[in-house]
Amino acid sequence: MLRRLSYGQTYVLLAALLAVLVVASAAIGAFSFTPAEMVRHLGAAAGLLPAASADALSRNVFLELRLPRVLLAGVTGAVLGVSGTLMQGLFRNPIVEPGLAGTSAGAALGAALVFVFGSSTALSFTAPLGSIAVPVLAFAGAFAATMLVYRLSTSFGKVNVFTLLLAGIAVNAACAAGTGFLSYVARDPQARNITFWNLGTFTTADWRGTIFVGVFFVVCFAWSLRYGKALNALMLGEDEAAFLGVDSRTLIFRLLVVNTIMVAVATAMVGVIAFVGLVVPHVLRILKSSDYTFLLPGSALLGAVLMELVDIVARTIIPPAELPIGIITAVIGAPIFLWILLRQQPQRGTGATVESGAGAGFYG
Amino acid sequence: MVDVVGVTYRVGGPGGPRILDDVTARFAACKFNAIIGPNGAGKSTLLRVATGLLRPSAGEVRYGVRPVAAFRADELARTRAVLSQHVELAFPLPVEDVVLMGRYPHYGPAPTSRDRDIVSRALELVGMVEKRRQPYPTLSGGEQQKVQLARVLAQIWNLDGSREHKYLFLDEPTTSLDVHYQLHLLEVARDLLAHNCTVIAVLHDLNVAFQYGQQLFVIHDGRLAYETSRPSDISAELIERAFRVRATRVGEDGHTAWRFMKTDKAGPIPVRRSPP
Repeated sequence: MLRRLSYGQTYVLLAALLAVLVVASAAIGAFSFTPAEMVRHLGAAAGLLPAASADALSRNVFLELRLPRVLLAGVTGAVLGVSGTLMQGLFRNPIVEPGLAGTSAGAALGAALVFVFGSSTALSFTAPLGSIAVPVLAFAGAFAATMLVYRLSTSFGKVNVFTLLLAGIAVNAACAAGTGFLSYVARDPQARNITFWNLGTFTTADWRGTIFVGVFFVVCFAWSLRYGKALNALMLGEDEAAFLGVDSRTLIFRLLVVNTIMVAVATAMVGVIAFVGLVVPHVLRILKSSDYTFLLPGSALLGAVLMELVDIVARTIIPPAELPIGIITAVIGAPIFLWILLRQQPQRGTGATVESGAGAGFYG
Repeated sequence: MVDVVGVTYRVGGPGGPRILDDVTARFAACKFNAIIGPNGAGKSTLLRVATGLLRPSAGEVRYGVRPVAAFRADELARTRAVLSQHVELAFPLPVEDVVLMGRYPHYGPAPTSRDRDIVSRALELVGMVEKRRQPYPTLSGGEQQKVQLARVLAQIWNLDGSREHKYLFLDEPTTSLDVHYQLHLLEVARDLLAHNCTVIAVLHDLNVAFQYGQQLFVIHDGRLAYETSRPSDISAELIERAFRVRATRVGEDGHTAWRFMKTDKAGPIPVRRSPP
């Protein structure tokens, strides 16, 4: 049914769905709000309505805890959705996403380094960076991890799926070990714990973090929109893209940087959330199209939609406790991941991919 | 015309193996230029240097009087198009979206109605209009190649009377096509010659090359071994030397063709493995 709609109509539909979910997500939770209360709190915050003192607690919870959290969830979902789309375009494979290719884990390691050692002598070089030390080191870690996986899995312009997955596993494991070690030795109660890094959570959301992630997302997303056509051309292969005027080396480098910035900033705020970047473009490909000029805006919207849903579930499934986000995304994402992998087999299994490269070493 | 002037190409920088050795060739304007030669002779490399994809280690390629290196990437993409042997797609894009890619160098964020129109006409030309909404990966190899032909035609579309000179490069384009569509493809390419377009093709079927080539280039061992504007000049001796086959001309005047038999005297020919 989505196939009958134009791209524009699909965006409108997804945006409407997102709006409904944002309102629902803001209303539902340990503290629930009626629409009238939400309007009153927003009005008071904007100075349009008088702030009733009887409302103070409810207003604070809504404005300082609930609202930034709901928005952070949406922006994070958009970041991960767009990132999955960009990475699948660059690797020319539907099995890639920031959680699997090491981007998120590398970012987490970089951010954890600052959280744990930020004030000690070992990382004193980050002191002049001040509060941007976290995103800067998160970016460094994410970029190093992603480039490593990209280099290992690419030979002669073709991506080997086996090497990609294996390199992703190795890089993820190494980064997770580093992050685990850091949260184990951390004495600072402010240092975030290992569950945060591995499974992600929005409980620490505040306005500062939300705006930070939001600004980076908007800039990176707007910039990446220019490359929809180039990503489509890259589907044909690097040489064919070059014949169409696309310099694939520059394209790949630029988009990896943009992608890494977005993911690093979001990961430093909410931890590693896997599978969203995998599921979102996949669903859009099935429902609508693999055209990147559509997938980029589409995955931003659907990513936000999915993350609002996941966050509602996380907050309501075992009250008063809260489930880490990554558990829910893995429950949805892992079966889809396996399904894509199995569907790739007939094409890949008979080709040279299995006999040569990492496959041979792995099975031999 | 395309001028290849003193081109040497080495793999992996200076000191690497030399694939092309001081090749100078002039591909005639608005003619069907056919490049032939045995496996590993450097035909495809020559073609790729001529398209501007590979930068020669020495020498220069010029389109008209302008060096190919002086073109901006998008400008070059509007001037010449390249049809490769086989193009795979990992994602299920519909046929018309693939053909529309040929128009990418011509439009900004959204295609114009002219771009859409050219896509339809290119699909008509290759006989794939009915399958325009079908996902590309579900097509047969031959159908995929027709779609790619439509894509490169759309890229250098000149049939609505544009005065700009265009170049079409074909790299062994007929491998996956049955004999009818082999000839169809080459005839579509030949029809472009009347529309201000130069065709440069690497062909491995010698009879096809002699039939369609108006200018013939024999590449052997990284060098231009022979060049002629009269394919009937090609001698049995030249074919034997370049391809290690015994060649006999069969048929009557005007309908001649060559028949080949492998000569074993020279020992096994080192055949490069072709991609799957």
